[in-house]
Amino acid sequence: MLKDFAKRIGYDDPLEIYLSRIESLLLSDYKITKRAIAILLLQEDNEMLDRIKDKEKERAEEILKVIQEAKAHYSHPLSYIISLRRQKETNRISQAVMSFKKAGKVSFSERLSKIMMNPLTGGPILLAVLYYGLYKFVGTFGAGVLVDFLEDKVFGNYVNPFVTNLVSAAIPLKIIQDLLAGEYGVITLGVRYAFAIILPIVATFFFAFAIVEDTGYLPRLAMLVDQLFKKIGLSGRAVIPLVLGFGCDTMATMVTRTLPTKRERIIATLLLALAIPCSAQMGVILALLEGRPLGLIIWLGVIFLVFLIAGYLASKIMPGELPTFYMEIPPLRLPQFSNIFRKTASRLNWYFWEILPLFLFASVLIWLGQITGIFNFLVKILEYPIGWIGLPPQAAIAFLFGFFRRDYGAAGLYDLKKAGLLSGNQLIISCITITLFLPCIAQLLMNVKERGLRMGIAISIFILFFSFSIGYAVNLILTLLNLQL
Amino acid sequence: MRKIAIVGSPNVGKSVMFNNLTGSYATVSNYPGTTVEVLRGKARIGSEEFEVIDTPGMYSFLPITEEERVSRAIILDEQPCVILHIIDAKNLERMLPLTLQFLEAGLLVILVLNIIDEVRDLGINIDVLHLEKELNIPVVETVSTTGEGMDILKGRIEEHVKRFC
Repeated sequence: MLKDFAKRIGYDDPLEIYLSRIESLLLSDYKITKRAIAILLLQEDNEMLDRIKDKEKERAEEILKVIQEAKAHYSHPLSYIISLRRQKETNRISQAVMSFKKAGKVSFSERLSKIMMNPLTGGPILLAVLYYGLYKFVGTFGAGVLVDFLEDKVFGNYVNPFVTNLVSAAIPLKIIQDLLAGEYGVITLGVRYAFAIILPIVATFFFAFAIVEDTGYLPRLAMLVDQLFKKIGLSGRAVIPLVLGFGCDTMATMVTRTLPTKRERIIATLLLALAIPCSAQMGVILALLEGRPLGLIIWLGVIFLVFLIAGYLASKIMPGELPTFYMEIPPLRLPQFSNIFRKTASRLNWYFWEILPLFLFASVLIWLGQITGIFNFLVKILEYPIGWIGLPPQAAIAFLFGFFRRDYGAAGLYDLKKAGLLSGNQLIISCITITLFLPCIAQLLMNVKERGLRMGIAISIFILFFSFSIGYAVNLILTLLNLQL
Repeated sequence: MRKIAIVGSPNVGKSVMFNNLTGSYATVSNYPGTTVEVLRGKARIGSEEFEVIDTPGMYSFLPITEEERVSRAIILDEQPCVILHIIDAKNLERMLPLTLQFLEAGLLVILVLNIIDEVRDLGINIDVLHLEKELNIPVVETVSTTGEGMDILKGRIEEHVKRFC
């Protein structure tokens, strides 16, 4: 079916010369045009390369030489040059055949769509979505009601006592008992953490996310923030991992895989670890700042500023091409609930099996830290920076344990608050610092897994210093202004 | 039995098109040596019966994923006499590069502008005759979910088979 009268696009002269040189060396029959084979070979198509080596025998050497010559002639990869030429031709054809009718009457959904993407009106809509979707549904219902039920009732009353009894009956060795069912046991901590805390939070989050996704709000949000994100080296595309970060930063870091360039992936990973509080963190912070609206505003303001400044600096330090962003804006639709349930279920399934091993590994690390005494040592070290940012030394334990166990970190800070050891200023500072601080060990592990050991560690060390520096700066400013909040 | 291959990027309605052509009978099998599943069924068009192959989604003729490799292998090795390149007509600019690659390879595809109803809703008009002239291949507008344009498509397939197979 090889017909040569069909459309054929021409490339620039040198490329055409290389193509015809390769074509003249292809003597076998390939069922598709020799021109196409030559083009594929120039684009490093290894499968084709194997085929011609097989068929052309001694001429393959010669062909390889022409390919090398062609590559050396261009500063860009040939696949890029060829795609660009094709896209140019495509654009020409598309423009020639497409025409736009006069816009008909504007429908309600189109008007709503415009309102969502307009910076003036889109902002309040975004806040409303965050408030009801994130704060009310995920925060209050998922992280509050559901977690309380699973954690206190199911695990606290049934699973943990059962496992503890079983293990102490079956295994005589205290140290192994601790590993499996102690305070930081693989089952009593790792599994419980995954099922009773992360599962309900993430399930409600995925559910809310699927609704936002299926209505077509997400691409509009991406357009809304695209200009702002360009300033910090990202594009509207990064909206998806960053929004997911409000649910769970660990999962969101995994999702940065969808960003097209390495630079964007690094910036997004950094921002997730630094300035996007996950739902568990937000729960703690909202509880700590309860009844202090001014504190909440200062916290929000500082975190948002840090987000912008860190992103801006990171994009300056890591130069690279501006990300291009093109996203199709589908029509706004009412979501189908069966679809939302299916999506939620399949994402939960995927997420859970990726995340569970990390939690199990984390509880082994805690166990090791406890029996070797490394934890006590780390707490002593942490007391110094804790002191510098104006917090009492007792807060060090809360910070370290918070890194491994969010609820412990929170409980630690509550106790301090209740005991009256934390003033208003100290509360705000500890909230800011603990938000910026790495959210949990699982995310640290995920950073290393996704970005490689060096980059993962570098990001974590940077955040360690940066979070305490900001805490220090806020403390200094409040003291200098003589503000007591 | 002559073959019809349905090709195109993911989410353009290939599977619905496959069902429209074949009715309900389809066999699913792994492509030899891979984990990629390929659907095959039979379709009667005019007086002839064809084997219809629903290939995995492909973005480019230069394969990156295993799915794309399988789709290319089907085109190269099974020599279908009709290749239906299904595209989402809303995204002409993103979809035509693959058509151009088929043409470059001398494969005379039939271009199917699917989901054409959404294009109309957007107030966009695509000049099909002009597009046929530009590419020198048959171009058909369809809405696979409603069956709109299927008769015309079958007619064009018959014509194509008479001329080239």
